[in-house]
Amino acid sequence: MGSEHLSKQYDTDLETLRSGVLQMGGLVESQVRGAIDAFAHGNQDLIDRVIANEPKVNGCEVSIDNDCSHIIVKRQPAASDLRLIMAISKTVTDLERIGDEAEKIARMSRQIHERGHADIHRFATVRHAADIALSMLRQALDAFARLDAADAAAVIRQDVAIDTEFRSILRQLITFMMEDPRTISTALEIVWIAKAIERIGDHSKNIAEDVIYIVKGTDVRHTAVEVVEREATG
Amino acid sequence: MNLYTKRLFVNRFNLFVSLLAMLFGLFWLAWILYTLVIAGFTALGPSLFLQMTPPPGSSGGLLNPIAGSLLMAAVGTLIGTPVGIMAGIYLAEFGSRGWLAPVTRFINDVLLSAPSIVIGLFIYEVYVVHTRHFSAWAGTMALALIVVPVVIRTTENMLRLVPDSLREAAAALGASQWKVITLVTVRAAKAGIVTGVLLAVARISGETAPLLFTALNNQFWSVDMNAPMANLPVVIFQFAMSPYDSWQHLAWAGALIITLGVLVLNILARVFFRNRTPTY
Amino acid sequence: MNAAVLQPAEQAVNQKIRVKGLDFYYGAFHALKDINLEIPERKVTAFIGPSGCGKSTLLRTFNRMYALYPNQEARGEILLDGENILAPSQDLNRLRAKVGMVFQKPTPFPMSIYDNIAFGVRLYETLPGREMDERVEWALRKAALWDEVKGKIKQSGTSLSGGQQQRLCIARAIAVRPEVLLLDEPASALDPISTGRIEELVHELKADYTIVIVTHNMQQAARVSDYTAYMYLGNLVEFGVTDEIFIKPKMKETEDYITGRFG
Repeated sequence: MGSEHLSKQYDTDLETLRSGVLQMGGLVESQVRGAIDAFAHGNQDLIDRVIANEPKVNGCEVSIDNDCSHIIVKRQPAASDLRLIMAISKTVTDLERIGDEAEKIARMSRQIHERGHADIHRFATVRHAADIALSMLRQALDAFARLDAADAAAVIRQDVAIDTEFRSILRQLITFMMEDPRTISTALEIVWIAKAIERIGDHSKNIAEDVIYIVKGTDVRHTAVEVVEREATG
Repeated sequence: MNLYTKRLFVNRFNLFVSLLAMLFGLFWLAWILYTLVIAGFTALGPSLFLQMTPPPGSSGGLLNPIAGSLLMAAVGTLIGTPVGIMAGIYLAEFGSRGWLAPVTRFINDVLLSAPSIVIGLFIYEVYVVHTRHFSAWAGTMALALIVVPVVIRTTENMLRLVPDSLREAAAALGASQWKVITLVTVRAAKAGIVTGVLLAVARISGETAPLLFTALNNQFWSVDMNAPMANLPVVIFQFAMSPYDSWQHLAWAGALIITLGVLVLNILARVFFRNRTPTY
Repeated sequence: MNAAVLQPAEQAVNQKIRVKGLDFYYGAFHALKDINLEIPERKVTAFIGPSGCGKSTLLRTFNRMYALYPNQEARGEILLDGENILAPSQDLNRLRAKVGMVFQKPTPFPMSIYDNIAFGVRLYETLPGREMDERVEWALRKAALWDEVKGKIKQSGTSLSGGQQQRLCIARAIAVRPEVLLLDEPASALDPISTGRIEELVHELKADYTIVIVTHNMQQAARVSDYTAYMYLGNLVEFGVTDEIFIKPKMKETEDYITGRFG
């Protein structure tokens, strides 16, 4: 973000805040990866670990928001500092929601694998969508770490792909349910999982929008992808 | 002895020495006053203020010299004060540009410390010699010449104490420079300027030398400004050097009156100034 | 250095003061360098910048206060409603009646509160007693001081507290009905509550007057002003709508100053 503040303590506080966000991001990323692996292989330990880690994610959100309040009251941040604090506050909310979705995926996976007769490799599309979502999350966090607006714009573009994948998953599941009514319970659970993945993609897109706000000062929420790309690279 | 007690001791010792020095100075002042009172006591009484100066050997009062001194001091102040105040205003308010102000200030300082006998001789040369007689006007002029530098100095200093922010505030409302000076700056420095005038009066009350060559003296009652006029300092001079007892007593009484008068004026000046210390 | 001068977007806003190519010298020291700026009418414009940047100097050219001192010289043009006030033919006293100023240190005159307010009015208008009373009351009400002093209006102006004295100075400046009010760090010598009152006052006054305020308190500038000019070392670095300058400034120098960084 350029040169240092006159107050070294201010720089330290901001750095602590940023690395807190990146740590929370790393934790959430591993939660999502764990949940998706658990869905693919049914590993009970993994599922239990993901569910047990969820409170940690919530704790991060509370603590980072608290730190943001402190900085606002002490420093009255302006310009880029102000945008950074506002964006961080929103980003941790999105990260916490991603954590919730990961926990949902883990719970659904447990139910599917307990029931037993799921032919998981038939649901490759789900795995594919999950990979896109995970890569969006990773790229959004990278863009935040490096404050790279162009990378953030790329994340926003990828959101379209996830929506497409989600719709095709739905069509596939409807076909399965029609073929064999015994698979309906499993299929419904997979719908929830696909929905969770789509939500993860949405939240990652939000994080990318926050990065563009920090760097460019423009609020690109609810604008078309072309406009966003122009803003980010312009 | 540790550091603290040593410091305490040095402190007390220095305080004691300063006290001694002060008492030494006060001692002489007290002795002068005491001598004046004792010596002039016998001549104090209502007759002092009701009778004229007597011929040698008889008793009388100091009415005409007191009246004469008051009159000449008043007129001298009346002439010298406006001149001094206006010049002081010039030096303080207009004196930042050009060469006139520094030169004036320098000359004023010289005049301020000039021996008053020189001033007396000067008036003698330019006025008394031409009019061929001593007069109260001459005396008044000499006194005015002593008042002017004192008033210039105090007026300028008091005006300089008024902060520029006050002048700027008045100018910012659209007041012309002269209005700023008269309505705001001088008003703010009023107390100090008046004090300066009082001090000038105290100064001229006791001046003898300038009056010797100008107003001279007058044995009889006279308020004619064109004629020589009686005044306390010269009367004291004359009576004190004489061999007559009554005259000598009168001289002591006169000295006491002058001293008390100057004391009262100084106290007045201080009280007046303290009550109206400017709050800017 | 070329300034990134942003013209206010609303064309409906009149430019009360236009500064064109202004240079200012304290003797040989070049204090203001080629300033070009427009002050919009009936809005609050703030000048911010570090010490010595020239913001007070610029403010004081608007009422030619520098003319009181030798060796201070301004070159260029400053147009007030189209007339160049730097022209030698400009009547300084009339200018100062049109462009009022309030200083950092409260400076009540050594006279009663009533006379303080009436001072400026008496310079240019002769009002009968009744009307003068009304004008004094009006000015004190505008300055939010009437309720506090209405019982002691004949007392000396110096008997008031610091915050009241400053509001007295503001009332005094308003009483002559100027068109522009220049405020040179008006609250920097006051406690937070008095400061808050003065800021409220500025907000109410801008409906009737064009206000230019110099402040070294950035949050105050952000709260109080509609437009902000950032100055550094005698140059105008950036001028624009306050909200934009404080959220998304155009120049890096402005950003550095506002966020407390000096690179």
